[in-house]
Amino acid sequence: MKPAPFEYVAPTTVEEAVSSLSGCDGEAKLLAGGQSLMPLLNMRLARPDLVVDLGRVAALDYIRESDGRLAIGAMTSKRSVERSGLVASRQPLLHAATVLVAHPQIRNRGTVGGSMAQADPAAEYPAMAVALDAELRVVGPDGERSINAEDFFVTYLTTALQPAEVLTEIRVPVLAPGSGWAFTEVARRHGDFAMAGAAVTVTLDAGGHCADAKIVLFGVGPVPVRPRGAEQAVNGERPGEDLYRQAGRKASEEIDEPLSDVHASAEYRRHLAGVMVRRGLAEAVARAAAARGDA
Amino acid sequence: MAVEIPKRLEDLPTSARRWVGRHVQRREDAALLTGRTEFIDDVVLPRMLHCAILRSPFAHARVVKVDTREAESLPGVVAVVTGEDALRWSHPAITAPDGWGTHCIAAQKVRYVGEPVAAVAATSRYEAEDALERITVDYDPLEVVADPFRAMEESSPLVIEEKGTNVMLQRVFTWGEVDRAFADAAHVFTEKFRWNRVGANPTETFGAVCEWDPMSLDLTVRGSIQSASHFGLGRAATFGLPSNKVNVKSHPHGGSFGGKGGTRGTDIACMLSRKAGGRPVKWIEDRMEYLVSGGSQAWDRHYIASIAVDGDGRVTGLDVKLVDDLGATGEGYGAISAAKPLAAFTGPYTIPVARYDLTLVATNKLPASPYRGMGPPPHFFVLEQLMDIAARGLDIDPAEFRRRNFIPSDRFPYTIPSGNEYDSGSYEEVLDKALDLAGYAELRRQQAAAREQGRIVGIGVASAIEPGVFDWNAYAVVGMQGTGVPEGATVSIDVLGMITVRVGFAMEGQGQYTLVSQLVADYFGVEMDAVRVVQLDTQSAPPSFGPGGSRLGVAITGAVLGACERIREKMCAVTARLMQTEPANIELRDGKFTVKGMPGAEMSVPEVAGTMLARSDLLPPDVDPRPEATHVWTAPGRAPADEEGRAKSYLTAAQAVHVVGVEIDPDTGFVEIFKYVVCDDCGTRLNPAVVEGQTEGSVAQGVGVALYEEYVYDEEAQPLTTTFMDYLIPTVNEVPAMEKVAVVTPSPFTPLGAKGCGEGAIHTTPAAVMCAVNDALVPLGVLAREVPAAPKRLWKLIRAARD
Ligand SMILES: Cc1cc2nc3c(=O)[nH]c(=O)nc-3n(C[C@H](O)[C@H](O)[C@H](O)COP(=O)(O)OP(=O)(O)OC[C@H]3O[C@@H](n4cnc5c(N)ncnc54)[C@H](O)[C@@H]3O)c2cc1C
Repeated sequence: MKPAPFEYVAPTTVEEAVSSLSGCDGEAKLLAGGQSLMPLLNMRLARPDLVVDLGRVAALDYIRESDGRLAIGAMTSKRSVERSGLVASRQPLLHAATVLVAHPQIRNRGTVGGSMAQADPAAEYPAMAVALDAELRVVGPDGERSINAEDFFVTYLTTALQPAEVLTEIRVPVLAPGSGWAFTEVARRHGDFAMAGAAVTVTLDAGGHCADAKIVLFGVGPVPVRPRGAEQAVNGERPGEDLYRQAGRKASEEIDEPLSDVHASAEYRRHLAGVMVRRGLAEAVARAAAARGDA
Repeated sequence: MAVEIPKRLEDLPTSARRWVGRHVQRREDAALLTGRTEFIDDVVLPRMLHCAILRSPFAHARVVKVDTREAESLPGVVAVVTGEDALRWSHPAITAPDGWGTHCIAAQKVRYVGEPVAAVAATSRYEAEDALERITVDYDPLEVVADPFRAMEESSPLVIEEKGTNVMLQRVFTWGEVDRAFADAAHVFTEKFRWNRVGANPTETFGAVCEWDPMSLDLTVRGSIQSASHFGLGRAATFGLPSNKVNVKSHPHGGSFGGKGGTRGTDIACMLSRKAGGRPVKWIEDRMEYLVSGGSQAWDRHYIASIAVDGDGRVTGLDVKLVDDLGATGEGYGAISAAKPLAAFTGPYTIPVARYDLTLVATNKLPASPYRGMGPPPHFFVLEQLMDIAARGLDIDPAEFRRRNFIPSDRFPYTIPSGNEYDSGSYEEVLDKALDLAGYAELRRQQAAAREQGRIVGIGVASAIEPGVFDWNAYAVVGMQGTGVPEGATVSIDVLGMITVRVGFAMEGQGQYTLVSQLVADYFGVEMDAVRVVQLDTQSAPPSFGPGGSRLGVAITGAVLGACERIREKMCAVTARLMQTEPANIELRDGKFTVKGMPGAEMSVPEVAGTMLARSDLLPPDVDPRPEATHVWTAPGRAPADEEGRAKSYLTAAQAVHVVGVEIDPDTGFVEIFKYVVCDDCGTRLNPAVVEGQTEGSVAQGVGVALYEEYVYDEEAQPLTTTFMDYLIPTVNEVPAMEKVAVVTPSPFTPLGAKGCGEGAIHTTPAAVMCAVNDALVPLGVLAREVPAAPKRLWKLIRAARD
């Protein structure tokens, strides 16, 4: 379990990183926290010619609030996000997603940008990003661009990033007043990648009906999945166990053939996704109701 | 000279015990916690090379050609070995049953995924792994057999052709009139069970540094080796070397639990050293190698079992049929695991007759290894499920059903049908204390209330025996030889009275170095820190097997106390001479040799030792002047097994009752353990802190095998669980907080009355957790027959019940 030979550079700015990437003849890889990349290197499943270590690009480590959005630097560790009072108070769904990622040791090193760029289908962050309609800021040889979360995740472990691009920041809107949210998952053990999970946001209208329901499933498809039929089934309806159950059933029917592995068959995953939707909706509606009461 | 070893704590020559039996912090820990313990990977020798092993991607294939030329020409590469070297320089592994071993590198064909086909020694592990990519192997894939029932068919491909069969052993042991017991029974309960492959996962994988001296042909092996002497004999046999040419030095290791196999990697590193002109070669098994091809896997079992019960709820017979898939070869001693249940076949119960229909089968999976407990844990899982099934069938509370069948305290020593003798026990008291601590009646009330709400809640009460202090005679039925397992220690007192104990085993995590210090400190009345424990290699150490089979605590206590007794006798003779009296008038107490009935006439241990080593003029002429002695202890009263496998095998029988509460999520099939209570009786607790540590770790492993762990193979015998993302070991988040209480019934047969307790709770935990799961499922009318009770399985069962 030792990596194949590679060149290594450790730039201190994003610009240097981009030029290292674009100057590489063969395959270049960015290294962030290394919690996904290092095992891949050690198992020789990834064999880049060049590793560009972002660890010394200090400017990418921050959490700020501006214009109703949280801006988080790509090299911010998940542990920093977890411990941020700003995140906990302004976007609790992000906090909830963060503490479900792996274990403290891994959150210490693993970064926000790394989890996005890794695009693991069972990871929490991509689902969180889609649920919150996050915007991803990217710098490449031709300058900066921004990508919508829903467009960022292309398929299994594949994003819209071009080979010489660096993800620099993720922006998520703060929690809207009156909005209810939930982030639920089932994993074999605490800290494992999820067998299935759901991020849910919902509000209640003046009449107490569900509105603006957004459901994002993870662990059940190549990228985060939005069961739009289930969302529609919820909107305009009175909340209640029957509704959640029905939405759950709809959501699990909407999924294409989910993954099948030693821990869960496709059928079981499909079922679990429905359970997560049901539970997530119940939790999100309860929060929305409480938020309305507070207002 | 026969020595009398103290049988009870009170027999120690001290009026106020300070160490033995007390909660003593382990002396090993400071070095471990500060990173100063020298593990095998810390060893760096001059001119040392690093080994990497090329492994088969096929489960069954002919090896047509291995081309190593390109690899050999790479910079840094010093030696390359293949199956041809193995054929030339080594013999197939010795196995039990005999003749199921192969060479350390596959020569003509590979028999499991991960089997070595070539290896490289280079100046770094990086270069060695680079070189592996330049070796080309032509394989000709063969039909694979991944299922033991298929393997038993006439048309099955053969794993080892020369054997003409895949059946390694087929035997039916009948102890008593089993057919009659079943014919006469008021009730018979029969079930099928499946125990999937699990196994040991020590923090440290295996590693070795091997040196083959080209001039003297001495072989020196350093490694994270569990039993150095046994390992040394194995290497001598493999290479056809005289046993005194092989020196094994075991390093402290990060646990074993049976997983420290490592023989193939060691033999490969030895051959590489030979090829590299004697340069030391280090091989460190990485975690993927360990999971796919190491000592990681055990107990791949298919059971059909029955119990017979009379009208009063007394079990009158047990019939167990086991097909155990041992994988490709017998090299891992997986067969021993299937034989060990004989030592406690009928558990803690008075079941008078039993039958064991045992079939060991070879398939194209990784050869099975030992795992903590060595085989009874699955057996007790089966027995305890049957006990619950019977209790439900007769409508008797499961705790009460066990009480009715327990061996009563006044019937010890008690011989079970399969021949072993249990030394002592207080089973009802253990049950009572466990039920009490768990609040059993209240738990049952809570369960009833939860069931009213449609929740799936269960309570398990299970009991099992931990056979302690193994003996080779226990494994005669699978071809192991010998009776007795000697363990020696040398105790020396220097001229200033400082004490050193030399032993032949390495630190493995069970605190035995602390135990040695406790014993000697109380025996000679000194501080524990005044006792130094030194480990010797196999060419210097007294006979030693080391840890294994829950034996070392008891065995080393016998060895150390025996050596102390021998020194005491010598010192009494010297003191008597100086005091001008007879040795019989001298007594050792609290570190002083005194003349009986003459207060004040005394000499301290350092005074006597100093006299012995520095005043030869004062010594009696016939006394050995060294304040030093070696004692080699082995369990008394052992004899070879009879033709039905019956023998007094394991010297001690510890017992435990666990009470477990679980709730199953009906939507997901996940199990949550909300209550975990342990009451155990392992006789005298020499260091309760260590016993508790062993218990907690063993419960954790038991929870792992009951709910999480499983090595999965597909139909082509490809392993699907090759990392810890797929092979799930429970973490601190999954292991329940447990409440513990103890009963102490000393063993009448052992030094200080201690019983083997190192394997411990894993004997009971899987059974108890599964009893709780199945208790929860009662209202649904389904039974979980398969371990682990993974969510996917329970969800299916629950869904089937509801459809
Ligand atoms: C035991 C264990 C359990 C885990 N459990 C979970 C879990 O439950 N949920 C979960 O979501 N994750 C889990 N992970 C993965 C972990 O969260 C990783 O930290 C994360 O996937 C990658 O982050 P990283 O900073 O370590 O990135 P790295 O491993 O350094 O990089 C990952 C990939 O992202 C690319 N990359 C990194 N930064 C950038 C950037 N700024 N721009 C462009 N590309 C970039 C790299 O080139 C690489 O391809 C687990 C990991 C381990 C070891």
